[in-house]
Amino acid sequence: MKHLKLFSSLLILFSVLTPMLGTSDVSAFQSEVKANTPIEHFVVVMQQNHTFDNYFGTYPGANGIPANACVPVSVSGADTSCVSPYKISNQPITDLSHSDTIFRNQYQNGKMNGFVDALNKLNQNGTLTMGHFDDQDIPYYWNLADQYVLFDNYFSSAHTGSITNRMFWVSGRAGREFNRIPEGGFGNIPTIFDSLQERGISWKFYIRNYDPELTYRKLKELDYLPPQIQWVPLLSFDRFLDDPELSSRIVDLSEYYTDLENGTLPAVSYVLLLGATEHPISDVSLGETATRTMLQALMQSSAWKSSAFFLTYDDWGGWYDHVPPPQIDDRGYGFRVPSLLISPYARRGHIDHTLLDHTSILKFIEENWNIPPLAERDAKANNFTSAFNFSVSPRPPVFIAATREVPAPRIQPRRIVIYAAYGAAMLFAFIILLRALTTRENLQRSSYEPNLRKEIKP
Amino acid sequence: MNLRNLSIIRERITQRMFPKDFALVRWWNQDRESAARIVSVTLVMVLAAGIRLWGLNQIGFNTDEAVYSGQAAAIAQVPVLRDIFPVFRAHPLLFQFFLALLFNFGVSELAARLLAVAVGVVTVFIVYRLGSLLYGESTGILAALILAVMPYHVVVSRQVLLDGPMVLCATLTLYLLARYALTGNPVWLHAAGIGMGLTFLAKETGIILVGAVYSFFALSREVYVRIQDLIISFVLMILMILPFPLSIWLAGGSKVGQQYLIWQLFRRPNHTWDFYLTTVPLEIGILVIIVALAGFWLLWSERSWREKLLVWWILVPVVFFQIWPTKGYQYLLAIAPPFAILASRTLNRWLWIENPVFGNRRLSTTWVRALVGGILIITLLSSSWQTIQPATTGSFIAGTGGVPGGREAGEWIQENIPEQATLLTIGPSMANILQFYGHRKALGLSVSPNPLHRNPSYESVNNPDFDIRSNNIQYLVWDSYSAGRSSFFSDRLLELVARFNGRAVHTQTVTITLEDGTKAEKPVIIVYSVHP
Repeated sequence: MKHLKLFSSLLILFSVLTPMLGTSDVSAFQSEVKANTPIEHFVVVMQQNHTFDNYFGTYPGANGIPANACVPVSVSGADTSCVSPYKISNQPITDLSHSDTIFRNQYQNGKMNGFVDALNKLNQNGTLTMGHFDDQDIPYYWNLADQYVLFDNYFSSAHTGSITNRMFWVSGRAGREFNRIPEGGFGNIPTIFDSLQERGISWKFYIRNYDPELTYRKLKELDYLPPQIQWVPLLSFDRFLDDPELSSRIVDLSEYYTDLENGTLPAVSYVLLLGATEHPISDVSLGETATRTMLQALMQSSAWKSSAFFLTYDDWGGWYDHVPPPQIDDRGYGFRVPSLLISPYARRGHIDHTLLDHTSILKFIEENWNIPPLAERDAKANNFTSAFNFSVSPRPPVFIAATREVPAPRIQPRRIVIYAAYGAAMLFAFIILLRALTTRENLQRSSYEPNLRKEIKP
Repeated sequence: MNLRNLSIIRERITQRMFPKDFALVRWWNQDRESAARIVSVTLVMVLAAGIRLWGLNQIGFNTDEAVYSGQAAAIAQVPVLRDIFPVFRAHPLLFQFFLALLFNFGVSELAARLLAVAVGVVTVFIVYRLGSLLYGESTGILAALILAVMPYHVVVSRQVLLDGPMVLCATLTLYLLARYALTGNPVWLHAAGIGMGLTFLAKETGIILVGAVYSFFALSREVYVRIQDLIISFVLMILMILPFPLSIWLAGGSKVGQQYLIWQLFRRPNHTWDFYLTTVPLEIGILVIIVALAGFWLLWSERSWREKLLVWWILVPVVFFQIWPTKGYQYLLAIAPPFAILASRTLNRWLWIENPVFGNRRLSTTWVRALVGGILIITLLSSSWQTIQPATTGSFIAGTGGVPGGREAGEWIQENIPEQATLLTIGPSMANILQFYGHRKALGLSVSPNPLHRNPSYESVNNPDFDIRSNNIQYLVWDSYSAGRSSFFSDRLLELVARFNGRAVHTQTVTITLEDGTKAEKPVIIVYSVHP
């Protein structure tokens, strides 16, 4: 606790002094600390509420839905029927409950047989939890998995909703209250951004459709929890709201594009795609399109060759997943969530089985820029460097298709026919013309005399 | 110093440079006439090749060159280009077939253009042979010289277009017909059938010259032709044409062929009615046309089937393409050789008959021929020379040469734009060029969504806003050439640039000459990246 106080005091001192020193210019805030890997720009997008099986359960080669999977309707045995996983396609979906209680009821001490029952008991459509998407529904993500790295052993850090999982994402800790924003905010819990700031390593938190007025302080006036506050933990920290040096790093996503264009993409970028969320009941294609836009812009920029783009999901959203999450402490893990790594150094079409969670993202940042761990979780977390191959030259950018359909093949004619037909014609022409040209004849003794009134004189 | 002294000096210099036992000198002394002819023809060929080769690859392909080379690359199965350019489009594939043979060793725009130049030089040689056959050696040589420096033929034969090979085959057919008319030997008529078939295989529009052949035989009583020889000749022509439909049918492109036919029949006019009138005479040479036409009046007494043959070869394409709604700069190239021969005939024949009188003096034939011929050749040469210089205005007529900046912009795209990116240009012309050099898919904003009003090879962009919002189009390309032709689509493209956070990532400039003569860099192609 003493350390924390000292740290926060230093932080306040730093935040006061920095503007005085005139270093508040964002462009001047560039990373001077060299990365330990070729990755100098790390972009991480956290989406919402899907499990691995829900998105990639049928992905070939991955640890997906077992062939004979069927989850009982009733855990108690009152109803012996079961629900098999099925393809959702265009069927309507709802926001399934995903509290820690629901987790326990679905988890069933590792039996993993309470997914349907837990929701049914809440009067929700428990069958829906067994629905899953496939390559026709999220083609872009499947195409990314084909070309880059898909993690099939990545768990949400906490067996609860967004707030706690996102706290693990930025601080390696659960926060003060389990999946709630405390009335006074998260106080002085250190985050990865404090560490980055302290070491002069550039960072930004990009928020799509960012409204700077929406912070945890606004909650008193509201009777609901706006997604921006819920999904951006920094907006519940006083220092990230009051310190201009820190608050200036929380920006609208439009700056991501200008930073890419200007070559000022920070070393670490966290992203919230507000308005393009995949949180049910939203259309998942919105998130896909937003991710594609971000990735294409990254690929178009000079930052691509030294970048890594990580896409993950904060929690499981009530959906079925067949892998029991290891319980490493009283907070988690939660069920698996989909995760993808896109980088010029990412292995092509690789399915990574390393045990990971949200604090693995912190682990990567810490090891890449020599930052000490923030908490016990990130200290013990595995890194995902196995997904990279730094011994090869970076892959050139290639825009990934947004559909799984192979484009209608252009008519690929039988070229031998063309060569044969035209070749034969030329041979035939050559023979006939040669015959004519080798005809020896004297024009004057020709059978036909031209009707020239005055012959041309030599 | 009088002329006699000059002659003595020249003699002495010649003797010193070329001793009498020198082989060339011996040959010159023995057969002076042949030697002069060979030297003259060689010089004409060298001139023809020289002017066609000068700065040949200075500027990259235009849209047609890109398309034909793309087709050849597709036949040769060149990766990437094979997937961008379809093998079958509107035209037969004779020239592309030869290009494909070259491209099997690697795609080279220089090699493609060298092939086009070779075709042009061979055409000049055939004009020499044809002129010689009809009106004697000196007419042949002068006709070849006229064609060698005629801007119309020079410009087209420096490009990878189908019209150059088509005119080569057409002129060969003309030569074979002349041989038949002179000899009556049916073997020449049969060969002419082959020549006409080749003309079609080079470019299908060459088939209209069958009308010229028909008119010639029908209206020239001096030339007798047997029906059975005509039939054999016709059958041979059909046999030569067969590879076109056969390859489409057997190779699996019959649907494409039908689509092109429908489009060609119903497409809208692309130029005003006076396009040829205002363009082609200047390119052939006003003086060439005047001299050629003057010959009919001055040499009326010498009229024969020869002029009929040449006149029909001019009249039929002119009338046809004037009526046909689709007009192109190079479409009338087939009339260039007969014009060259007719002009040469006038100069040679008329001036041969009698020494012309100027005031009270009868002029020396040699000097007058040299003067008129010299003016004609120099004006043509001067015009050609100007035409083959890189464009300095930032605008051009399709078919008149390469597109400045197109190759460089395309190469920049290939190096800097991610694979699988899609570009949107103002029109399909720039799209073709950028696809060839850039190896990226490019769509034209101006391509009509109505299938009846667009080239079947082109893909229309029905909703560009949606395509950009969906990340399906990532780059917009503005170019001054297309903007000059369609300000409407230029404005629409720039609207999209503004709407979707467009940022210029590359600006291709060319050096232009301003009105005051100073040089300036003018942006001709601008590549914008866009995102929703």
